[in-house]
Amino acid sequence: MFEYFYHEIMRRTIIGFGSLFNNIKIEHTNETDTTVSTLKVPLAYGPTQKFLARLEQQPDLNKSVQISLPRMSFEMTGLNYDPSRKSTTTQTFLSPVKADKKKIAKTYLPVPYNLDFELSVFTKLNDDMLQVVEQILPYFQPAYTMTVDLVSTIGEKRDIPIILTSITTSDDYEGDFSTRRALVYTIRFTAKTYFFGPVQTDTTKDIIKKVTVGYVAGGRTPAPDREMSYSVVPRATRAYGDTPVTTLAEDVDATETIITVADASGITKDTYIYVDTEEIYVESIQNNDLTVRRGEDGSTAAIHVLGTGVKNITAADNELIEFGDNFGFDGF
Amino acid sequence: MVLNPYFQQGATTEQNLVQDLINEQLKMYGVEVYYIPRTYITSKTVIKEVIESKFENAIPLEAYVDTYDGYEGQGVLMSKFGVQGLHDLGLIISKDRFENYITPLIKNIPNIKLATRPKEGDLIWFPLGDRLFEIKFVEHEKPFYQLQKNYVYELRCELFRYEDEVVDTGIDTVDDNVQEYGYIETLQLIGSASTATASIIGVHDGGVRSIYISDRGHNYSNVPRVAISSAPSSGVTAVGFATMISFIVDCNGEKTSKVQTVDLANPGSGYTVAPSIAFHGGGGVGAAATSGIADGVIGIVSITAGGSGYATIPTISIENNPTGINTAVAIAYLNTVGIVTQIGIRDAGVGYTVAPSVTISSPNMGNVGDYIFNETVVGSSSSTTARVKSWDATTNQLEVSIANGTFTDGEIITGSESGATHQYRKVVVEFAKDGFAENTSIENAADSIIDFSQSNPFGMP
Repeated sequence: MFEYFYHEIMRRTIIGFGSLFNNIKIEHTNETDTTVSTLKVPLAYGPTQKFLARLEQQPDLNKSVQISLPRMSFEMTGLNYDPSRKSTTTQTFLSPVKADKKKIAKTYLPVPYNLDFELSVFTKLNDDMLQVVEQILPYFQPAYTMTVDLVSTIGEKRDIPIILTSITTSDDYEGDFSTRRALVYTIRFTAKTYFFGPVQTDTTKDIIKKVTVGYVAGGRTPAPDREMSYSVVPRATRAYGDTPVTTLAEDVDATETIITVADASGITKDTYIYVDTEEIYVESIQNNDLTVRRGEDGSTAAIHVLGTGVKNITAADNELIEFGDNFGFDGF
Repeated sequence: MVLNPYFQQGATTEQNLVQDLINEQLKMYGVEVYYIPRTYITSKTVIKEVIESKFENAIPLEAYVDTYDGYEGQGVLMSKFGVQGLHDLGLIISKDRFENYITPLIKNIPNIKLATRPKEGDLIWFPLGDRLFEIKFVEHEKPFYQLQKNYVYELRCELFRYEDEVVDTGIDTVDDNVQEYGYIETLQLIGSASTATASIIGVHDGGVRSIYISDRGHNYSNVPRVAISSAPSSGVTAVGFATMISFIVDCNGEKTSKVQTVDLANPGSGYTVAPSIAFHGGGGVGAAATSGIADGVIGIVSITAGGSGYATIPTISIENNPTGINTAVAIAYLNTVGIVTQIGIRDAGVGYTVAPSVTISSPNMGNVGDYIFNETVVGSSSSTTARVKSWDATTNQLEVSIANGTFTDGEIITGSESGATHQYRKVVVEFAKDGFAENTSIENAADSIIDFSQSNPFGMP
């Protein structure tokens, strides 16, 4: 209506639904219960172009048999608004853009819709049908929940319950001999999916890089003087691709607090260094021995081997913090 | 006697004359079809069905096509289950010819059930159109008792619905009707193969002999990087790489990927104390290992030729070892097409003074012969049997159907009639030749959008 967007929500839901049933097998056993034949049941989305079906399934015109069985087919039969899952219409949520995590995307909350699906099973033998149906039914109680990445630009994963609503069995074995026996079961499902509007990736909103809190003492005056102001900026907790300034001159276990490096001249005290994936705070430096606090800001103190590169976490790293990264604060 | 005795109500001679005339007409105006009787191999009771059938005999017979202006039935239809050919066919065959020609030929075939009349469920191969029809009804009273006898059977047939029946009559024009139907898998077999070769470059003192896993860790999503302490300045730092294992169950009942082994790509040299080993990345936690160093360890194992046609990991023999030393052990790694791409040193040995030689075991060289259509093939270790649908000697791909299990990696698949033997590597295509099945496309499309972070309870095809 206003701009072009297409998240392939229905296609994704259809693929997700189909993928639940694409590995169903049938086994035939003889009188001694030895397997004589195993086959996988072909599955396809029913609606297709007629010419394509004819070309793919009957390329040489003469189809020497009627059809090969068993087969399963599924199709979407309808979609209905689901008022029970309605959310506030004006509310938006922010998420990182998957391709560029420095960008923020703004999206309105999705509209809940129920997609109706029909899975039809066509078999030659009743024995096959019972095997197919028994491999499906236990997973739906009566819902099976599947997690689908509905909007790829922001990696929006939603749990979509797929509810088994009804089963229709049809076995036309009665009547004169000129009519064919058709053994078809139809299982109906409802998938509770969501439709998302356009994702605004050009939003002007950015990651908050500084937070200031002011305290005011006294009553409400038109122009209060701040008594105290706290201000913090995020601090990187890892080195974003820096080259090592030195290497470890010893094997370091997970608890050691005095670390010897090959050359401590590039390291300043009261700063953070980064070794493998551990953030380490340097309290003091004596010659090439660093007195450190291990496993800072939630990183895990780990074993590091002799020769491992030591990187400085610098102010430049603060600028490289991406959406979703852990970060610390610079203090008051 | 209530009928008029002065009129004959169908004398045997008259009946025979009519039958002979009909036989002659059928031979002149009929079509030569094949009558293919069904043998009933396995039937289920209670829910009565024939589970397993075979069609192994085809007998030519003259038949008159009832409607010569085309097939009856609804023709070709598009349905949710794909394109269906709903062609019907009415055929008239001679009762006398069936009883005196077909019956004697088929009555002694085991599991034939009934040989005295054409029976529903049997097949007719119709040459005009090269199709297989299944008899759905045998009408025996049309025309109605001319001269007090019936002379023909009218066979009401429909196109055969194929599942996994064996059609092996020995007549290719009949058997090839089901060549492209049913569940067909394409197996990648191995054609020619060549042996990989490698050599060891030097021996070193103070090298890492082996890396011992002390804790496998858990929850690794990727192979963690292995860090080994640097060697002193005069030496060379060792390089190792980890392999993963995922079927060990944790105490909480869940299976996660863990570190299985660390092999050395380069044992290094010049170490005076055993280096520390650390694992980084891979998303998991807890893996730990220690190392041992030794003098006289082997150097890098360099692959001089990767070979080809390996279906299973070859063994690496390190030869020309001096007596009384601890010999080295190495493991080969294969890529997906069966070429040795890496050799990891599991134990670099102790006490070598000269580099030993390396021999890599040969792949199966006995990959010979061409499989023939419709023969059964059998796997040497799994004993799985299947029927050949086609064989491509250029790509070494074998299409099989009606398999009673799955073939195991590296086993030899032998053709029962052709005697061809090739080693099996993997299934490359499921639902080959099936224009309807979309299973693989659906799975591939779903892989990028469905989050089965635990596992797909329905399995991954």
